[in-house]
Amino acid sequence: MSKAIETRGLAYRAGKSFELRELDLNVPAGSMYGFLGPNGSGKTTTIRLLLGFLKARAGRIAILGRPMPRGAPAVLARTGYVPERPHLYPSLTVDEVLRFHAAFHHEWDRAWADELVAAFRLDRERPVRRLSKGEIGKLMMLVALAQRPELLVLDEPTDGLDPVVRRDVLTALLEYVSQHHATVFVSSHLVHELERICDWVGVLDRGRLVAELPMQSFKSGIKRLRVAHAPSLLGDTPFVLLGREPIEGASEMWIVRGWQPPMVQYFEGIGATLRDVVDLDLEEGFVELLRSFRDAGGA
Amino acid sequence: MFRAVLYTQWKWTRAALLVASIALFALPVTSVRQAGHGDQEWEAAEVLLSLSAWAPLYPITAALLGTLVAFVAWSVDHQGEHVYALSLPVPRWHFVLLRWSAGGVLLLLPVVALWIGLLLATATAQVPTGLSAYPNALTLRYLLATFVSYALLFVVGQGGKRLVGYLLVAVGAVIVVSVFDAIMGLGLGPANRIGAWLIGPLGPLRVFDARWLPIDV
Repeated sequence: MSKAIETRGLAYRAGKSFELRELDLNVPAGSMYGFLGPNGSGKTTTIRLLLGFLKARAGRIAILGRPMPRGAPAVLARTGYVPERPHLYPSLTVDEVLRFHAAFHHEWDRAWADELVAAFRLDRERPVRRLSKGEIGKLMMLVALAQRPELLVLDEPTDGLDPVVRRDVLTALLEYVSQHHATVFVSSHLVHELERICDWVGVLDRGRLVAELPMQSFKSGIKRLRVAHAPSLLGDTPFVLLGREPIEGASEMWIVRGWQPPMVQYFEGIGATLRDVVDLDLEEGFVELLRSFRDAGGA
Repeated sequence: MFRAVLYTQWKWTRAALLVASIALFALPVTSVRQAGHGDQEWEAAEVLLSLSAWAPLYPITAALLGTLVAFVAWSVDHQGEHVYALSLPVPRWHFVLLRWSAGGVLLLLPVVALWIGLLLATATAQVPTGLSAYPNALTLRYLLATFVSYALLFVVGQGGKRLVGYLLVAVGAVIVVSVFDAIMGLGLGPANRIGAWLIGPLGPLRVFDARWLPIDV
């Protein structure tokens, strides 16, 4: 399986309070990879490192098979980027933004850009500084898509947008991806949004990659178990025990990852009783994953 | 690419460039007209004295113009933390060169206005015996001075906050040493020495230390 993005041992420090450590990302080509993490976890910093805006302290990065930041111009020509905050020049009109961007991208698709301007109902003569937040979000997505990228790097692209605009933006994105089989790397703290569109997920917390797995595994593998009479020392478990806390009497609540039904037998082996298995939705799974990571000292 | 960058910088500076062009066209026309006596014969000494009063405006406006265009070249990118510029598929040196070249081209507009003003002013003047008109030489000097200030400030602007910080620290250090020097009576004169070097034969601001007269001996 070829990788659109691959990092090994990536490290970066910003002041004394924040650092990325030993970041190993594997984004399969053609996937929609959701990069989840709470605010301040390092998602934007990671993206800026990936695209060569920042220089890593250690580690290596390969994007579309090219090393970064050395291959930045060639990679950026094939990568559409929507940053967290608006980056387009505020005094330029929508039309001027399109002309400016087209001048730098040889693959610019003018006809499709025009279609998107109409679909997004953008006023061509209006300066960026007079656009609403939603219109700016749509314009940023438009310029990223119309350059016909192989890779789209989207940093919280729908954060703060109303549901209608969010739907427009995501529709355009999904339409492009389905037609061109592009890879999408999208960061967000909006778990449910990623749940709908992504097939891979990476979870970042405090500059460390907590988990990286197919979305299906992430969604189906995290469970809440109600267990009675469990011994205090467990030894090896067939699943990953993320959390364990007493609830009432001799019962405990366990949060586990990698759960499969045959694992029920494990409880008989340790003299415990499994009372209940509850599916967690992605957001609950995400929260439990972070909690267990933090309880373990953030590795 | 160059046209796109040139257009953005033109849009950001056009109002200031228009005002500068009008002012620079008017500067030689007004100064030469005031130096003369209409149809009467013009006195060489009076002409030189009158034009000398206007002369400082040339280097000052050249420095201001270069500073303005250099500042504007980077200000919008600074506001956006250079994210847009960095996301463009060109090497950084290439984008810097595009920005620098675009600013350089834009600087020509007010300089051409000055040149036309100088040509008009000197062509309609009664140049006294012993004096000559130097519209082309003054324009060239002005162009060079503008480019020197533009280039210096462009580098500072491109260098970002860190370079500005270093420069401010350096200026602060010179002020502190100068005050200490004055109090202790050491006679080091650091500010004077630095100033002399800047406009000295090998100094980067040498072009500013000249006679800025459209009509001179």
